[in-house]
Amino acid sequence: MPIASSLLKKPRLVQKLRDFHSYVMKNNGQVGTKTRGIDLNFNNACNLRCKYCFTNSPKGDHVKEYLDLGAIKKLADDADELGYFEFDLQGGELLLQPDKLFSVLEAIKPERFYLYLTTNGYHLDEKMAKKLAEYKVSRVSVSIDSMDEKIHDEIRGKKDSWRRAIEGLEHVKNAGMDPYLNITVGHYNANTDHFKQLLDYSKNKKYKTLLNVAVPSGMWQKMTDIICDDKDREYLRKIRKEYKNLVRNIWNPFDKNNEKILGCTTVNRLYITPIGDVLVCPYVHIKIGNIFKNSLKEIVDYGFSIKYFRNHSDLCLAGEDKSFIKNFMTKTGQTIFKPAEAKDIFKKEDFV
Amino acid sequence: MNNQEKYDISFTEAFSIDKKKLEKNLEYNSIDEWDSIGHMTLVAELEKNFKISIETDDVIDLSSYQKGKSILKKYKIIV
Repeated sequence: MPIASSLLKKPRLVQKLRDFHSYVMKNNGQVGTKTRGIDLNFNNACNLRCKYCFTNSPKGDHVKEYLDLGAIKKLADDADELGYFEFDLQGGELLLQPDKLFSVLEAIKPERFYLYLTTNGYHLDEKMAKKLAEYKVSRVSVSIDSMDEKIHDEIRGKKDSWRRAIEGLEHVKNAGMDPYLNITVGHYNANTDHFKQLLDYSKNKKYKTLLNVAVPSGMWQKMTDIICDDKDREYLRKIRKEYKNLVRNIWNPFDKNNEKILGCTTVNRLYITPIGDVLVCPYVHIKIGNIFKNSLKEIVDYGFSIKYFRNHSDLCLAGEDKSFIKNFMTKTGQTIFKPAEAKDIFKKEDFV
Repeated sequence: MNNQEKYDISFTEAFSIDKKKLEKNLEYNSIDEWDSIGHMTLVAELEKNFKISIETDDVIDLSSYQKGKSILKKYKIIV
């Protein structure tokens, strides 16, 4: 049974999660404009060279910048006040610099959040997993590209990546945190044996499986052939009901029948870069503010004044809405460090 | 429906499980369905079925099938 990381030892989290549940139930099962999660990339350095990295870390993009601890503390305090209950630390690769990571965790105060790390798992050994649990991390998501070790290592650009990632997930489970096996699914691998092997492995190990649809951004910008089509989406709907342990941010997690759509969570979930820019989502590289210049509330209110992010969408804007992708995600050189500015990319009629 | 039946149906509905799984040692995280999300759904089912509003401290204390019964006593519900 999970220990300090458990929901039941985090009263503030319980309150916020209740509020979220209540809002969604009253809003016809949809996320609307309810605050949900902060995705924070406080440093972009990574030890792997993944072919599809959306932060361009393999290109060395801004790998030396760090978001300072004071700013992180304020961000967490403001996010807590606004009702954000999930806090996802991402990179780069977080476990490259453990001392910095644990300082960041202290600044965030994980007892207030369902706090999780997204990691490639390379440095996720038993000792690290135990320490993360002691620091009240609730969950660790580890990305796996294939059950074929060679294929995974080739995609990740480093030998032994697969073995360490697979073992890392088990260490997470043994340490009492929630283990999530992350899979990127696109037109190239949906409904394939490779994909199914990953799903079956995760299910048999009693992990949760987080599905991230492939998005044409970062290293994959303008590669629209990776986007899931209608058949792929139908397949994902089918396996959601079949496996029952699958998670997508766009799916309503409270629906026991595994059918309902929460909606695209742009702005409900914000992405913060190492230089303090706030993007509407990790994959939609559109900036709506900077935490050094605007309050978090101002940024959220501005974000929800844009109709694409305010209105409900059954489709993931970044990975499934081809019109949105074509109109707003194809600016040359658009990255998390050179995002399009919302005030420039949207017209007056795009604001409510 | 009596209180025991309402109580049991709150669990079976929240977790989509069979009544057979409602054992004395059923507790938070002892089954896959009783995770943080399932917990919120359970609380909502209990509130709906018993027409009560459960305080946050009690939501946190509601860690097992057995414990839930003693918590409901605070709301004058005997199961």
